[in-house]
Order: sequence, then structure tokens, then C-alpha cells
Amino acid sequence: MSIQRKFSANHKMSDLINENHSLLLVISRFGLHLGFGNKTVCEVCQTNGIDCTTFLAVVNFLADENYEVDNTYENISIDTVVDYLKNAHSYFLDFKLPSLRIKLLEAVNQPEQNLPYGLIFMKFFDEYVSEVRKHMEYENNTVFKYAKLLASGQKDANYSIAVFQERHNEIDSKLEELKNILIKYYPDKGSNHLLTEVLFDILSCEIDIVSHNKVEDYFFIPAVEAIERKLNAVG
Amino acid sequence: MMDNELLKIAIAEPSVIIRSGITVALKRIPGFRIQPFEIVSNESLNSYLRLHKPDILIINPSFWGHYDITKLKAETQNPSLHCMALLYSAIDESLLKGYVDTISIYDSVEQLKDKLEKLTSSALDEISDENTNLSSREKEIITCVVNGLTNKEIAQELFLSTHTVISHRRNIAKKLEIHSTAGLTIYAIVNKLVEIDDIKKNMLF
Repeated sequence: MSIQRKFSANHKMSDLINENHSLLLVISRFGLHLGFGNKTVCEVCQTNGIDCTTFLAVVNFLADENYEVDNTYENISIDTVVDYLKNAHSYFLDFKLPSLRIKLLEAVNQPEQNLPYGLIFMKFFDEYVSEVRKHMEYENNTVFKYAKLLASGQKDANYSIAVFQERHNEIDSKLEELKNILIKYYPDKGSNHLLTEVLFDILSCEIDIVSHNKVEDYFFIPAVEAIERKLNAVG
Repeated sequence: MMDNELLKIAIAEPSVIIRSGITVALKRIPGFRIQPFEIVSNESLNSYLRLHKPDILIINPSFWGHYDITKLKAETQNPSLHCMALLYSAIDESLLKGYVDTISIYDSVEQLKDKLEKLTSSALDEISDENTNLSSREKEIITCVVNGLTNKEIAQELFLSTHTVISHRRNIAKKLEIHSTAGLTIYAIVNKLVEIDDIKKNMLF
């Protein structure tokens, strides 16, 4: 087992990345840009106008491979979490998935052997992307709007976060299918670096999506629910 | 390693040392895919159970007041939750009402495995008693699916009941770990069950 530790406001931002490189994606989704020098987490957050407590809560939540459920959300900024999640959506939809598509097409198309696999793989992939898009747009347009309103003290009587929890379906199953097809059933013609590369990308994208959902399900939803309860108690 | 469903296990126990110890022990159990959730307080337990529906709850019955498990299950809408009592020492039997089993902090990984198998036995049997090669009937059905036929049309074509077709499709999905039609299409083409030109006309390009 790797050594795990909780990061604090006085750690150097560069240490976070060196100790756990998957946090690089988290840092970029908070809108923090590389070139940290020796600045601490707290300093970098301040310079960029990001709530440091929320940043650290998400970082430590993701760095811990165990799920610890602890209802202390008083100091979490919902706005900051929502912006972070929205940035993640835009990363998947506008960058990661299109780049995977290009690589996949390159890897499976073998025109010289008259095997136009590109067509069927692209149909599959595009169906997957449109599923993901629908899923994430619902979150952007409905769930996040609701959460931001709630954070400003207004309760929308027609919605509750439990509704979202119930319909929050998995979006990694089709990606898993694609992974299975390539690993188990794709007739690999000898050495194919492109295929290995795209498979590797699919695997890391899958992990990324799983941890994104982990933040939504076990960090964002309980945090929103805590505000709901507080507002309901007030009246 | 058996390829089975992810088992969500919540551990409600105030001691971080015991709690994380159980998490590590659960992950060491061979043959199971387990996602443990550590619940640190009474309040988090209620909100966690309400929002997420775990399969099993391991809970220390003598902390946070004595739990009425039946009431907890009802209040959080978890009727099928399996509750296991976590015991440090011997305890009055009457406090164990509503628990399906107990876990001692001295249990070995094997003992934990046996207890989990007992709880999930039905689910495991289903998976282990099959081979993963496709039958020729299943291959026929894949060809039909890929050619755009509905379950009803497949049933007519192969002289089967719709119910049988659905059950074949469920087995195919389980064996191949491919659930979507688009996925089956790729499978069928790269494995030469169908020719790409045959199905092009059924795909909306």
C-alpha cells in the first residue's frame, strides 16, 4: 500500500502533484495554473481567488482511497465545488472525449486491409459521448443551478438533491464495454502502439470518471443535503 | 478472481483504528469486490443510509446509544439492508435483535469471507455455474440483434418465445460483458459473426 497522508494549507502545491500525480487533474479543474514555484496550497488558492478549505477537502477526499463519510460541510463553499465539477464536465466533453475519439479512429482503422472498423467504433463511441453529454448537461443546467440557489439561501420547493441521487446513473459502463472489446475481443495485428496507447487512455479516463462520480455522490450530494436540512430546520 | 458485482459495505464505528482496520481486512477477502465506506458519526450514518443504499452495514451496536436496527432500516428506506453487529466482546443476545450475523474484532479473513458468502450466496451461485463460451444459439441471436431485429422479431425468426430470447440476451451480456447493441455490433464484426457490408444498411450513417 502506498503511503497516504492528508494535505494541509501549508504544504507546497508542487508537493501535492509529486506525491499523487492524479491530483494534477484536480488542481487544473479548480482553475489553478502550473508554475507554482515554492508557494503553499494556501497562497496559490488565495492568489487565484479559490476557497482553500474547499480545495483541500476535495483533494483529501480524492487522495484517500478509502471512503470516509463524515458530515462536516459547514465550511465548504458549494459555489467552489460546483465550479470545479463544471470544469471537469467541460474537460471530458470538450477535450478528453474528442481526443480519445481521434486516437481510437486512428488505432482501429486499417484501410490497407480493407477493414473499415472505424465506422462501427465511431458509431459506438458517438453514442457513448451523447449519453455522457446528456448526463452532464442535466447536472449543469438543473442540479448545479439548484445547488447554487440553495447556497444563496433560497430553497426551490420543486426539487431536492435526493431526486438527483436517485437518477444519478452510471456513465462509465459503456466505456467499460469499449475497454472489454479492445482487451478481450479485438483481433490485434501484431505490434500496434496506437491501440495500446488508446487503451491506456481509456483506462485512465475510466478512473477519472469514476473519481469524478465519487466527488458528486459522496462529497457534493451530502454537502447539498446538509444545506437542505439546515434551511428546512429554519423553516 | 470472480467477476462479480461490487459489494457496498458501510462500517459504522467511532474508533478510527478499528474502522480502518476493518476496511483493510475487507479488501483482503479474496473473491469479492468490496467498496467499504467508513461512517464516523451517528449523524453521517443517517444521511448516508438515506442517500446511498449499501448492501451490508457493519455496526457497533453499543455505540451512539443502542440501535433499533429494524427502525433504522425503516426510517432510512433500506428494507433489504443486511446488518452485522460488530462486537469487541460477548454481548447480551437481546441486543442483537435485527442483525443477520455478528463480526468479532478477532475474526480471521477466512471467517469474514464465510460470513459474506453466507449473506450473498444466491448472487454468487448464479455467476459461477456457467461457462463463458457462447453457444451457437447465442451466436445466432447476436447476429439477429446486430441486424437490427427486435426481440419479438428474433423470437419469430428462430421459433422461440420472446421470454427465451430475453434470457439468451441476458446471458450473452453477462458472458461477453457487452450490453449495448452498438457494442455487440463491434463484437460481431471483429469476430466475423457478420460481414460489415451486411449490417451497413441497418446502421444509420
